[in-house]
Amino acid sequence: MKTRITEMVGIKYPIVLSGMSWISTPKMVAAVSNAGGLGILATGPLNAEQTRESIREIRKLTDKPFGANASLMFPGAAENAKVLLQEKVPVINFALGKGDWIVKEAHKYGGKVFATVVNVKHAKRAQDFGTDAVIATGQEAAAHGEDVTSLVLIPHLAENLDIPVIAAGGFADGRGIAAALALGAEGVAMGTRLMTTKESPLHENFKKLTLEKDVYDTLFSKRFDGILCRVMKTDAAKHAIKNGLSWPAAFFNSQDIAKQMGVPYFKLFLGVLLSGYKNARQLAFMANAFKAIRVATENGDSKTGVLPVGQVQGLIHDQPTVAELFERIMKEAKSAQSKVNAALD
Amino acid sequence: MFKTAITEMFGVKYPIICGAMMWLCKPKMCAAVSNAGGIGNLTAANYETADEFRAAIRETRKLTDKPFFIAITLLPSMRITPEHHKMYVRICAEEKVDGIEFSGTPLDKVAGMEAVELLKNAGVRMFHKVGAVRHALHAQKIGFDGVYAAGIEEGGHPLNDDVTTMVLTRKMVSSLKIPVVSVGGIADGSGLAAALALGADGVMMASRFIATKECEVHDNIKQELIRRQEFDTVIYGKSIGLQGRGLKSKVLEEVLAIEARHGGFEELIPLLSGQKVKEAWETGDVDYAPLMVGQSIGLINDIPTCAELMERMAAEAKEHSARAAKLCGN
Repeated sequence: MKTRITEMVGIKYPIVLSGMSWISTPKMVAAVSNAGGLGILATGPLNAEQTRESIREIRKLTDKPFGANASLMFPGAAENAKVLLQEKVPVINFALGKGDWIVKEAHKYGGKVFATVVNVKHAKRAQDFGTDAVIATGQEAAAHGEDVTSLVLIPHLAENLDIPVIAAGGFADGRGIAAALALGAEGVAMGTRLMTTKESPLHENFKKLTLEKDVYDTLFSKRFDGILCRVMKTDAAKHAIKNGLSWPAAFFNSQDIAKQMGVPYFKLFLGVLLSGYKNARQLAFMANAFKAIRVATENGDSKTGVLPVGQVQGLIHDQPTVAELFERIMKEAKSAQSKVNAALD
Repeated sequence: MFKTAITEMFGVKYPIICGAMMWLCKPKMCAAVSNAGGIGNLTAANYETADEFRAAIRETRKLTDKPFFIAITLLPSMRITPEHHKMYVRICAEEKVDGIEFSGTPLDKVAGMEAVELLKNAGVRMFHKVGAVRHALHAQKIGFDGVYAAGIEEGGHPLNDDVTTMVLTRKMVSSLKIPVVSVGGIADGSGLAAALALGADGVMMASRFIATKECEVHDNIKQELIRRQEFDTVIYGKSIGLQGRGLKSKVLEEVLAIEARHGGFEELIPLLSGQKVKEAWETGDVDYAPLMVGQSIGLINDIPTCAELMERMAAEAKEHSARAAKLCGN
């Protein structure tokens, strides 16, 4: 399939792996890129050194194009983004912040930059400072999003932008891709579907849960990590959302994060304090979420772990390899599209 | 030309159905949609007596010889009682209307299987608007002809499963044998093409039809729908167990404030009265009553006639699927 995205990046299928913490790891990124899509490394849980190692590991596992993300709201994200630029990562996907400097630097070595957006205003701004494509997150997507759904957001963006739109949220199969193309998108990003593949490092317990849960088994709330976030509906998630922010837990969890990222705790603590109450509150929220997501993805602990998932979990019934999945999806997309042609003829 | 289970079932040109809208879906508007090649809607709750209701059906028939739907919401309100529901069903059967859009409680639970049989024998096609597969399966089981899969983006009362149209349509299509029509978030030809790609046999729209020349509503409302964007609607009513999506307005801010401080049903009722909605449509005051429109208002940019709208949607759907076909190598 040829779209502006496949041509821009040099990939076979217009399917992007969403950058999911602890899931979009080097092996997973390489699996998606080797299968013809675009793997995106999640750098959220990594420090600069780990980011650099991960990029080098990906390069050992694949000679295909790949990307890496930078959620600019997190501490350390800017440092990670600088590493991505030094390593000349082919695609950088920034979110939750202004990535104009990333665009400027990436373009110098021929890199491409995707901005994750939830509305036309942010998308236009990203386009204005030279971003190459947007990933449009609909309400149905896993993790962070806003109220507007893919069905409304994609056509509105496609109509108002010159750069291509990658649709995220609500896509797990070929019919979804055919719909995304009809709405004006030129690619889709998949998180939930790809985290339930053979190569995905997601813990088996949660892969199994994803297969069991239905389309309505998610929670969408600001009370998990401070901004609207969609997670799997489990007792642990209900509990976390009911209780909201716990400062003492944030204190302990942030020490964990500092340790994991190799940052002296006092430096992280001071940095957070100096960023103002609103931001400190947000980061405290995220420190707890970070922990809950980590124990879900890595340890498979469904008692305290919380997993961000999209509504499409209810459309997932198997655990294929990434290559099997892509082939099937593309076949389905072609057939779904030809049925539309027949209906319109 | 379009050919789907819906165009075949009703012998219409476009698989585009107008959804129920209290006070707006009256004979003229209904006939305008049907005459333009879609399927118009006559909303039963506009009429409190059997005579008025029957007269409205007959008036619509004078204005069009094309099929149209009657909308019956099977939820008791201050004004419309279970007795009204039974009366609507009886008259629809007597008048042998083309189809009924039911919403709310399943028909067999409200009026028994005899109501289903009565309508079936009269040749009335029955559709239920649902937000979950379990409700759709019930409709299929009792002999309904199709379902409307209504996603969380729709204006009105989306089910609190909160599933979006994109995901819900897919789930419905793979779980049902009867045709599925997508509702919520659709206002143009790309949405129509996308719904068909997802496996739906048509789309239902309501908000889009408000901003048409034929809709009998104050011009301020139409202009407001052009001005407002997809993020200008809000979900309310979660605290009273009947969530709704409406245009962000002073009155809905007030409703949400009452809900936030756990105010009671009694406090909310005066703000949510249907009579006030009628006045708001007539006076064009968007802050006076909750106006139940969906996220698709972000895709509304003009006030065409119903015929212009549907012709354009058909052309857009073709254009978008031709583009998609090219990308897919079809």
